[in-house]
Formats: sequence, structure tokens, C-alpha cells
Amino acid sequence: MWRIGIDSGGTFTDVCLIDENGGDVHIWKVSSTPDDPSRGIARAFSEGLERSGAHAADVAFFGHGTTVATNALIQHRGVKTGVITTAGFRDLLAIARQKRPHLYDMSADKPRELVERNLRLGVPERLRRDGSVETPLDEDALRKAVRHLVGQGVEAIAISFLYAFLSDAHERRAAEIVAEEAPGVFLSLSHQIAPEFREYERLSTTTVNAYLGPVMHGYVTALKARLADAGLGVAPHLTQSNGGVTGFDQAAAMSVRTVLSGPSTGVVAAQALGKSIGIPDMITFDMGGTSSDVALLADGTCRLVAEAEVHGYPLKTPMLDIHTVGAGGGSVAYVDNGGLLKVGPRSAGAHPGPACYGQGTEEPTVTDANVVLQTQNPQALLNGQMPIDRDLSMAAVGRLADKLGLGVMETADGILDIVTANTAKAIRLISVQRGHDPRGYALVAFGGAGPVHAARLAAELGMERILIPRTPGVLCALGLLMTDLRTDYATTRIRLLEDVTVAELTEIFDGLNAQAETWFDQEGIAPDARTIALRVDMRYAGQNYEISVELPEGPIGPDSLNALCDGFLAQHRQLYGFVAQGDAIQMVTWRLQATGVVPKAELPAFPEDGPDASDARTGSRPVWMREAGGFTDTPIYDRAALRPGNEISGPAIIDQLDTTTVVPPGMTARVDPHLTLILERRP
Amino acid sequence: MSKSLNPVTVEVIGSAFSSAVDEMGEALVRASHSTNIKERRDCSTALCTADGEILCQAEHIPMHLGSFLQFVPRVLADYPVEDLQPGDVFIGNDPYAGGGTHLPDIVMAEPIFVDGTLFGWAINTAHHSDFADRGHAHIYQEGLRIPPIRLQRDGVRQPEVMRLFLLNCQVPAERQSDLRAQMAANRLGVLRMQELCARFGLDTVRAAGAELMAYAERKMRAGIAELPDGTWAFSDIFETESQAEHLTVSVELTIEGDEMRLDFDSPPQVRAGLNVIFTALQATVYYAVKSVVDPTILPNAGLARPLTIKAQSGTLLNCVHPAAVDGRISACQRVVDLIHGALAQAVPDRVNAAACGSVHVASFSGTRPDGSLWVYLETIAGGSGARPDKDGLDAVQVHMTNTSNLPLEALEGEYPITLVEYEFAADSGGDGTWLGGMGVRRTYRVEADCRVQIMGARLTSRAWGLDGGGPGASGAFRINGNPNAIDLTGSADLRAGDLFEVITPGGGGHGAPSGRNADLRAADSRAGRSAAPA
Repeated sequence: MWRIGIDSGGTFTDVCLIDENGGDVHIWKVSSTPDDPSRGIARAFSEGLERSGAHAADVAFFGHGTTVATNALIQHRGVKTGVITTAGFRDLLAIARQKRPHLYDMSADKPRELVERNLRLGVPERLRRDGSVETPLDEDALRKAVRHLVGQGVEAIAISFLYAFLSDAHERRAAEIVAEEAPGVFLSLSHQIAPEFREYERLSTTTVNAYLGPVMHGYVTALKARLADAGLGVAPHLTQSNGGVTGFDQAAAMSVRTVLSGPSTGVVAAQALGKSIGIPDMITFDMGGTSSDVALLADGTCRLVAEAEVHGYPLKTPMLDIHTVGAGGGSVAYVDNGGLLKVGPRSAGAHPGPACYGQGTEEPTVTDANVVLQTQNPQALLNGQMPIDRDLSMAAVGRLADKLGLGVMETADGILDIVTANTAKAIRLISVQRGHDPRGYALVAFGGAGPVHAARLAAELGMERILIPRTPGVLCALGLLMTDLRTDYATTRIRLLEDVTVAELTEIFDGLNAQAETWFDQEGIAPDARTIALRVDMRYAGQNYEISVELPEGPIGPDSLNALCDGFLAQHRQLYGFVAQGDAIQMVTWRLQATGVVPKAELPAFPEDGPDASDARTGSRPVWMREAGGFTDTPIYDRAALRPGNEISGPAIIDQLDTTTVVPPGMTARVDPHLTLILERRP
Repeated sequence: MSKSLNPVTVEVIGSAFSSAVDEMGEALVRASHSTNIKERRDCSTALCTADGEILCQAEHIPMHLGSFLQFVPRVLADYPVEDLQPGDVFIGNDPYAGGGTHLPDIVMAEPIFVDGTLFGWAINTAHHSDFADRGHAHIYQEGLRIPPIRLQRDGVRQPEVMRLFLLNCQVPAERQSDLRAQMAANRLGVLRMQELCARFGLDTVRAAGAELMAYAERKMRAGIAELPDGTWAFSDIFETESQAEHLTVSVELTIEGDEMRLDFDSPPQVRAGLNVIFTALQATVYYAVKSVVDPTILPNAGLARPLTIKAQSGTLLNCVHPAAVDGRISACQRVVDLIHGALAQAVPDRVNAAACGSVHVASFSGTRPDGSLWVYLETIAGGSGARPDKDGLDAVQVHMTNTSNLPLEALEGEYPITLVEYEFAADSGGDGTWLGGMGVRRTYRVEADCRVQIMGARLTSRAWGLDGGGPGASGAFRINGNPNAIDLTGSADLRAGDLFEVITPGGGGHGAPSGRNADLRAADSRAGRSAAPA
């Protein structure tokens, strides 16, 4: 039987297949079809199977990552949406947190309003802060509001009443009325989408979910049909921002949870890789053409954040803690009017691309700097498939060098230093600022540009070990085969830790558990594959930002409360450098993560072949290595020909179709049994 | 630039400075207890050189820059460097002693030592919503005055200082927690700088700091040089809740090559909390000039070098002891209007119409059933000015402040107050080809007897339009619908069940109203908005 992962991006659709029996891994890329992505995916599916000699009927698992929701949000291609709030608060969505978008730039704009004012309506109803009813729901007014919205042609309605996270009665009644008045309209209710406090962020999340819901629904419906036509016999799955997959129906109902599905699968793949090698503490570095995504895995897991701003819209939805910085191979280098060298966030993208592509641009990019230094092949990229002109790179970097009064090589080297510093800043944010010292972590580099810059980045952060996966360019597709089914439930109940009894703890989690059981049943997850993890977001009474503390596995008992208290104090000290002895601790949001464990594809292991890598050597070229003080004749190796146990001492360049790995002087690259490259400083 | 430093190292170290101040700010917000800091983020963080020049400020609240300008120099005047040691913490708030720009902004600083040498300072300021319901005839009525003094020596707290301070506060428990968060934030700054110096060496980091300031100066000069040379004058009206009479304030702004001179003229300082200490005027000028000249200039001491600021001492805009200063931000907002009004004549395509020009504040205080006091302060956003090529922004904090609102679901849990309405004031934006941004209407119902103190400007004057655009609507404070319920003290008693309504001013419009596109007019009407009456 086969497991298939298909990751569909803007340019390419990547397929990764693993044979559950032999462990054979096949990868394949086809061009994406942005007008109807399901076409490209169906083609990728069929071609992938064909190349692997497999049949659709032999597929036991289908995992899919998509940028449909993200793109619809970025490009504002969601549906016409109406919003219904408590009367007096129709503008909350637009007022947001009342901050201006840029402190000094008065021409900056807020993110575009997803719902215009005449489609934002208030309806009389009001709950008090304890969830009791102050003003009952005015059903006639609600009916009128729904009719107005339908008359305006909305395809989706978001309802977010004050304190709905405490009592869902008004939202549920409202949903019944919407179902009567507007049966075909997609409905998004705040108590289901984001049952947590802070009304604006809950409303924003509920609105985005409504705005994207019909788009996602249309997409999965079309895709499901195409895959069925292609012979797929199992239920397909889609990735979410939390790093897990879920069924297509749930993905459409909770579209807001798929907005960051893309980068999350890379993290999941890195996690599996670390597990296979036995390295639990890792920082992932996924560098593409325009940006880099970084994430930190401590003890094999990536922190889940409950809220983040995505493309300008705050979303309260469980997301892996991934940070994106505008630093990629296409990032443009320039000298600003104060005379300092800057790199990015503006990117030359694929068109016009770096200067060396010869498509008319004269500004140097990060890729041009690599071509000048010959860390990247000066004649062609993509293993020879894309010819380039190094003279154009030299000229572009040279113009910058003149402005700076530096040499061309020094300038190219500086461009790499600055793009590295920009990325390092993002990594400090997820490591140092969260109380983790990156020096104890391994750097997992992937994406087309990650392995090129990994050694510099590791040096900048004092990290001593770098892992380059076997297929750095299609790691996300591989990650789809490593992930479990996963969904999250939460409820806000603000209680003092000292007042909470074991019975109450049990009762609240039982409520969440009941929801999880329903989902397990819907997804057809076998009882022995069901696992749950419980957390409580806690803070000192008086604070407004919580720290998420995990409950130890096993049944809830008196020790659970002690463990929560200890966990909170330890994390508070790690984050803020102190604990407030004797101050009361509050429990705020109670969370349950439900996981349906699926059998994972095992990465195949190959027998050791000794340290001699000379069979993989293809030649040499002069490469500018700072450690060596200039150009140094550097051996070139073919990644595909490397065998487990092979060792390569830097300086060396290791080429493969989807990336180039730079091994600087002083480092050694070793090939592990899973064909992962492990770079370490030579003692 | 020194030989050993190339522009790359400078950029890398600059990036580490800004990481550090951001991290300090985040830690301060997250560990604090008062709603004004934890939700509304009314605080700022910075790093200074050994003698107190600002190396890097986190971009939070422009007004707070004024808190950092004189603090370290005044510490050093009283505490010689030999007397400082690692683990010292200094606290202060008094404008006349270098401590800040008004008393609620409490500044804390910790020296950063690297191998026994003073490298610089981690510093932050936070607006403590305390000293509530005080008088404002002179500074002695406004709260406890604290000169920069040592709160902690060598890591050991001086409890006497803390006890004296807390006794003067209405909500001492909150103050204590917030100060602890401020100290923890500085500690992070100290650690990060020590790590940075360990990596690059103290001398290199210092030299990079100096170069970053020179860089900000170069950018400011390059930006000013692009503007036409000349002198432009602009006058405006200043009036507030406690200053009914319209005062005239004005500026004469001169651009000469790559330098700019600003001469302010204002009436003698007033017996109300509206006066501006010189550091606050400096912070305001830096903000207003940077926003037009080049918003990307690094926030450090270098940007000030090409600017000369003059204002007669003893006047509203450069007050002397014992003038009250609590509401100085009202006057500072008008100073921004003056500078932008002058620059609009020099570079009309780069300047917006006047923003709402006010920081509308409602500060509620009362007694809890257990006898303890509570204070809830909120500043409420208005409209920003129309841009030369688009509408102004609705409901945003403008210019000298940028605090968040307090979520209703957090507010009602902490105070005996219910929020009944929070919507656009749909007819408040100035008319024009491009409309001024809308202010808001925020209505509270108090559930227990309490006091409210207000602050706000543009209550009888209006934010001006540009190039034929109309003015924004004025703001108001109403109790049970009555706009005259609050006298010039700015305070009033509220009874349980009273409705207290804040309406913030709209921004001015840009371009002739007849130039507004018909489709946009139709969309305005669909959205239920109309321009402020001319």
C-alpha cells in the first residue's frame, strides 16, 4: 500500500509517495494550475502513481496541503460576507484595536475591511460578564438583519455576540433563524470558531472563517470529485495550521484553521526527521525565493500559539509558532539614502528574478551574491536546467560596491551577512525571546535556499549542528505523510487556581472531550488510535497574557493541579525572569487537542558505505569562502550519489536538483542512514 | 566610519539593538498587571549609551521618547559613575528633575556593565493609571514627584523608597506588579547587551552605536535636503476641557539646506495641566518632522542633530516649574498640527489634513466594596486626516500616542462599568475629495457610583482640512446626553446607572468636496456615513 502527500503551491505541485512495505520514496513535481488547482493536483496524483508503478486502489492515505485559503485571504477573493454583532458594536470589526497601521508613515493603510459597513449589522441582545442574559435576543430584528443581508447578496454570514464564549444560547438561536431565512448561506458562529475572550479577535476570526468558508467548500468539493474520478478510494485529508490533518468537510467548515497549512507541514517533516535521527531540539529554517519560515521544536514538539496576526487579520486559531521574515533568494540588496547596505524585504521574485537571469533587472539579489561568490553554480541553476550569466550578477553587485566603497566580493559577502542577520532576528524571536538558547539546537535547513545559507546562519547563532533533509525542496509534501489527524477545542472559564477542584477540572475537560469524541467518530478514527492532550492557559491574577501549561498525561487527579502550578511558575520564570511569590494564579482558557494517530511512513534506512565520498565527486570550482579569506578551489559533490557513512570535509559544495549545500572550511558533512546530511564543526 | 567597522557589522548590531528593545517591550506588556499597560500597551522601552544618548527606542508611543531624553544625564549628575554597580535600578517621574514628561509616566533604568565598564543603560517608561482625580493648578497637585533615585542597589531593593511611593498611590498593588514588570524588562535588555558585547567586543558595539546615530543623522539630513528651502508660518487654536478660551499657538519653520529650525510661539504657561516641558516638545518635533521627512529613520539620538527647536521659556510650549503638565499631550498634538501645517505649504503632496488633534481620555475612579480604590483609564481614538490621494483612517490613535483600546470582555470583568456602544461617529470626518477619518462614539454605563476625569481637545475647535477640504467635527463628553455636565475642573461624579458618552473628533478633509467621485459618494451613503457639516 502507498501513502501520498501532495503539496500544492503557486508555482509547483509537489508529490511525495512512500511505499508502506518497502519504504521506497518517490518525489515528483508538476506545474500548478492556479485557475483551478484541483486539475494540477489530479495530474500530480496520476503521474506520481504512474512513475512509482502504483495504482490508485493501492493508496491507503492521501494528505494534501494547499494555499487556497491563504491566497484567498491575501488577494481578498473571499465571498461577500455579512456580519451580525450585538447592537452598538457593528463597527468593532473596523475599529479593531484602534492602533494605526504604522507609527510614522501616515500613508500606510489598515488591512482591507473584509465586510463593508452596510453589511455589518447590530441586533439587540446582551449577555453580562457572567454569561447571564441582560437583554434577550430580539428575534424579529435578527430576522430583519438576515433578510437585509440576503437582499444584498451575501454568501456567508458571521455571527459574533458579546460573551458568546460563556453562553452560546443566543448564537444558536440566531443560527436557527438564519437557517430558516437563508438556507444556502454559509454560517460561521463565534462560539464554534473561537470560543475565547477578547471580542474583537473572536469577531475577526469568525469573520475570516465566513469569508473563506464557501471558497474552501467549493475547492474541496471539486477536488474530492476529481480524486474520486482518478480512482482514490480513501477519504482525503487536508493540513491545518496546527500541523495536523483533518477531513475535507471539517476543513471547509473551519476554513480559518487552514490559513497557515503550508509552512506547518515542513515543520512536521522536520520533526519526523529529528525523531529518526534522535535529535529532539531543532530550529527549522525554510528559505524560499521571497521569504523564510522559522520554527522551534523543543523536545520534538513545536509550540502551538492560540492567536496570531495573519496577513493583517488577527486569528484566534491554533497555529504552530512559525515566524516568517522577508528574506529569500530573490530579496533585493540596495544602499539606502543613509549609506547603509539593506537586503529585502522587497523581492525580485521569479519575474524578473535575480540579475543573473538576464530578464532586465539590474538590482542585485541574494542569489546574485551567491553567484558572484560561486557558492551557487555560476553557469546554471537547478542542476544545469536554468542557465544564468554571472557577469550580470558581478555588474549588479559591483554597482552596490561602488556606492559603499567596498570590494565586489566584500559586498557580496556583506549581502549574505545581512540576509543572515535578518533571519537570525526572526530565530531569536522564537528562541531567545521564549527562553530557549539556540546554541543547544540543531538547525534543519530546507527550501530552495535554506541549505545555501545554513552554515552562515548557524555560525551567527552559535549553533553547532545542521541537518539537511534528503529532499529539501519538497519537504512539505513529505511532511504530509508524517502527520496525524488533529483538531483543537477550547473554552474560556476564568477561575483562580486555588479555587479549582479536581471535580471542576474533570467536568470542564469532559465537556471538551465530548466534542472530541464526536470528531473522532466523524473521522472514523479507531478507538486505540485516539489520543488527547490537555492544556490550560494560565496567568497571575491581574495579568492579561496567559502562558499555556500542559497537563501531564494520564487521568486527572489532585496531582494535576500541582503540576499545572509548577509548570506555570517554571515557564513564567523562563519567559520573564521572575515569579511573583504568593500572588494568585488564574486559569483562563482550557484546551484539548485531539489526535487520531495514523500509521506513519517510515523513512527508509540504507546500509553504511564507509566515509569515502570520492565516488560522488563531480569536479571542483573556485568558491569564495570567508573562512579561507578568498576564492579557494572547492570540490563539488552530487548529493544523489552520496551514500550513508560518507564524509566530506569543508570547503565543499554539494549540489542536487532542488538546492545547493555549502560546507564551509572547518565543518564536516556526514551522510546518515536516511540520507540526511549532518553538518558539524570539526573538533 | 572607523576602519574596523564595515556597514555590514553596523547593520547586524543595529538589528540586535532593535531585537532587544522589542523583547523588553513584549516582556513588559505581558508581565504587567494594570489594564493600561497589559492591554493598552501604554509603555515604551529603549537602550541608551553610557552618557544617556538614545541608541534605539522600540517604536511604541512617540510621546515617551521625551521620558528618555534627560533621565540618564540627571542620574549621572547625582550618582557619579564610580558609585554605580551592576544590579542598580533607578526610578523617577518628575519632569523638572529629568524624570519624564508627566508624573504618571514612571521611568526605570538599569546600567549595563560589561566586564566592569559602563556600556550603557536599559530604560523603559510605563504610564501608570494612578494619581487619579487630582488637581492640576501646579505640579504639586498632580501626584508624587520622584527625581531619578536609586530603587535597587547591587540587586537589593531599597524598601523605604518603595513604601513611600506606594503610600502615595491609589492602586498600590497594581503599581507594585507593574514596576516589577518594568524591572524585569530592563534586566532582559542588560542581558542581551552583555551577550552582544561578548560576541563583538565592547568597542565594536560602541562604535556601531555611534555609527547608527550618525546614520540616522545622515538620513534626516538627506531627507531635509530634499525639501525646498524657505520659511513657513502656521497658527492654530488650542482649547481643551479645562481651557475654554481659544489660545493661539504658532510656529515659524525654516528649512535651510539639510537643517531645519522651528520657532514656537505660545501664550504664557497656564494654571492647568496642559503645559509642555521642553523634552516633551522635543519628542513631538522629532515625531512630526520624521513622519514627513522620512518615516524610516532609525529612532535614535542622531535624528535630532539637524533640528533646532526654540520656544520662550515660561510659555505653554516650554514651561517652567511649577507649571502642571499632566495633559501635555493635548498641547503636543497641536504642535504636530503646527508643524504639519507649516510643512504642507512646503511639500503639499506629502502632508495630510489635520488629524483629530486630541487624545480623548476618560479616567474613572472609585471605591470597591472592600474599601480599596480602582482606577480605569482609557484613551479613545479619533479620525486621522485625509491624505492627498485617499481618505483618512477611521478610529485610529494619531500622532503622539498609539495605545490600544481595552476589550469590553476584559473591561467589564475588572471594573463596575458596562460598555453599551462603540461605533463610528458617522458624520464626523471632514468633507473633501478625500474624507477625513471618522471618530467614534463610546458609551459607558457605570454600575456603581464613581468619579470620572476627562481630557480632550478639539471640543469647540475643529481639525482643519487642506486644499479646500472641510474641517472634521468636534468631539464631546456627555453625561446622560448633556454635553455641559462637566465643568472646567474636567471631573464629575457619576451615579450608578449614569450613561457617560465619549465622542471623538474627526479628521480634516483633503481637496474640494465637489471633487469627490460619485461612486465614492454612493458608497458613503450606503455605509450610512456623511461628511461633517461645513
